[in-house]
Amino acid sequence: MGEATLTSAPAAPPQEDSTTPSGLPWWANPRVGLLVVIVALVILFSALRPSFLNVDLTLVPMQADLSVFAIVGLAQLAVLSLGHMNLAVPRMAAVSAFAAGLTYDRLHAPLVVGLAVALVVGALIGALAGTIITTTGVNSFVVTLALDFGLLGLVSLLYAWATDGVAFAVHPAGMDALRFDTMNNYCAGPVCGPPVPLVVPIALVTVVAVGVLFRRSRVGREMLMTGSSLRAARLSGIPVTRRIIQAHALSGLLCGLAGFLLAINNGAFSATIGDQFLLPSFLAPVLGGTLLAGGAVSVLGTVLGATLTSVIQKGLNLLQFQLDQLQILIGVVLLLALSLDRVRHVLAERRGVRR
Amino acid sequence: MTSTTETAAVATQPRRSRLLGTEVILIAISVIAFVVLTVTTGGNLLQPGTIRAILQYLAVPLVIGLSQMVVLAVGQMNLSVGVLTGLSSVVAAGLMVDSGLSPWIAVPAALLVGAGVGLANGVLVVLTRINGFIVTLATMTIIAGLRYGVNGTGTYEGYSPGLVKLGRASVLGLPVVFLIALVVAIAVALYFRNTFSGRRLLASGGNPVAARLSGISNDRSLVVAHTISGLLAGIAGVLVLMLSGSVNASIGDDLLLPSFAAPIIGGVVLAGGVVSVLGTCLAAFVVRLVDVAQAQYNINPRWVDLVVGGVVLGAVLLSHGREGKDDS
Repeated sequence: MGEATLTSAPAAPPQEDSTTPSGLPWWANPRVGLLVVIVALVILFSALRPSFLNVDLTLVPMQADLSVFAIVGLAQLAVLSLGHMNLAVPRMAAVSAFAAGLTYDRLHAPLVVGLAVALVVGALIGALAGTIITTTGVNSFVVTLALDFGLLGLVSLLYAWATDGVAFAVHPAGMDALRFDTMNNYCAGPVCGPPVPLVVPIALVTVVAVGVLFRRSRVGREMLMTGSSLRAARLSGIPVTRRIIQAHALSGLLCGLAGFLLAINNGAFSATIGDQFLLPSFLAPVLGGTLLAGGAVSVLGTVLGATLTSVIQKGLNLLQFQLDQLQILIGVVLLLALSLDRVRHVLAERRGVRR
Repeated sequence: MTSTTETAAVATQPRRSRLLGTEVILIAISVIAFVVLTVTTGGNLLQPGTIRAILQYLAVPLVIGLSQMVVLAVGQMNLSVGVLTGLSSVVAAGLMVDSGLSPWIAVPAALLVGAGVGLANGVLVVLTRINGFIVTLATMTIIAGLRYGVNGTGTYEGYSPGLVKLGRASVLGLPVVFLIALVVAIAVALYFRNTFSGRRLLASGGNPVAARLSGISNDRSLVVAHTISGLLAGIAGVLVLMLSGSVNASIGDDLLLPSFAAPIIGGVVLAGGVVSVLGTCLAAFVVRLVDVAQAQYNINPRWVDLVVGGVVLGAVLLSHGREGKDDS
């Protein structure tokens, strides 16, 4: 991936460890560690099962999965920047996907309109969560937990009302193209694109946009400052209430996108969209070195974290590991990554770098 | 009966009164909801069979709520309570069915599994210094794998008829499983009220710095809290075993969210330092009444989650509304 390391930490230089002489050794950077592990695993899996490098069977579906889970990770990352959590990621995605499906089903809208509806609905629910949090002062964990409960019931009620109870039967024009086609299907004369599914560029643009938001834009930097120290941010004249609502709205918007992309990948707007999102939403950012405390995020790390989980899942699948062994391994990987993080902290403290 | 409101010595007076207020409100809600349900269903609720069913299926949510409450007391969370309940019950069933062991061995084994995993959670939290939320998220996936690994998609049934019979038995009209849950609740309440260890947990949760300055090991508090939480999840696993008569790898999946709902509605704060056994029990009862209402009125079961979400949010907003903003 071409873009620079999108680690952002306003006012706190230690995050730029790998580049500064007084910082940590390069190997203590969680993103480098992730990359090494990913490469090692790809080599291992390819050696054990050459079909791991099969374009149609493995690489294309893996990229499609990865696109969804990178976005899911970013949805969580958006509020982790504040030191908040969004436990309603699964259901925000589900409601957004429902809204898109309904648009196609009842209005016969083109694909793009449904996407826009999904994004808007997601952002609105996120903004609602943010508004409740800021006006009541209740912990984001509790608010989004309750919201998830509520939306869980709402989603099944909505599907029961609008469909046969499970999924929309509608297939908007272009959905199958987005699902099955890769860039390889589009040729300019003799030159065809790489075997990259069409959902990947959508995800890539989103990743870069979120990266730029947190690294370069004023809004993003102010979100991080709010996460770093609410008091200090407020005293510096940052409109913290608005930034909190915006971060939650961004999270909702990304949930909406993830729900839409998963529906495309699955080929149906169904009630089960998002069910599997909660764990990956935390897995990707945390593996990538984003802490729960807020104030610092790593967009590139989140993408790498999502990549690692996708590679592990696909590889173990090919090696015919069972679901249970897969889960155990992913849990162990998460714990190992966390221990690495601990090593990083100890090293930082030894070198006198105070966070 | 389990009326204990425990606040850490360091906590301020307003906190205590807020908690009492929550409990009073919850008692009022429970009574009103119960009366309304009774009247509108033509007294159906007062049939011995109905009451027994209500209390029977209150047992597991109650214990699992307490399991979450204990870690909330030290300002931690335990995402693994649900799957751990499942693992304990599947392990115990496996020991009885596959290994032919008696329940006298299998039940303690289930408790041991719970406490052991809880201990591991606590040690990991202390060693890695990572947020308990993330550590237990990781262990949750591992435990889910182990739970599935015991017997795959298979179902254990026909284990220890005595245990299942006990699960359906009643003493003085009260189901045995409910009485067990009640005893557990009283034990937890006494633990936080009367023991040094319990007071230390609350002190660590309320103000870790002050706790350390008074000679309390916060690390030990974390490990103890996680171990007790795991033990309670193990007890919940045994209750599931007694209640259902057959267990499989999906046990516990639907327990995680209720485990948070009960203590949060009951007025336990996430920041730690405050517990309310009575509040948690009452909240579990209120959530149970939502289920009962659904069954009595033949409402679409999908409404239950919606209502529970509303109740959680409403309860939290209500208690915060009286207290005013205190954090971000």
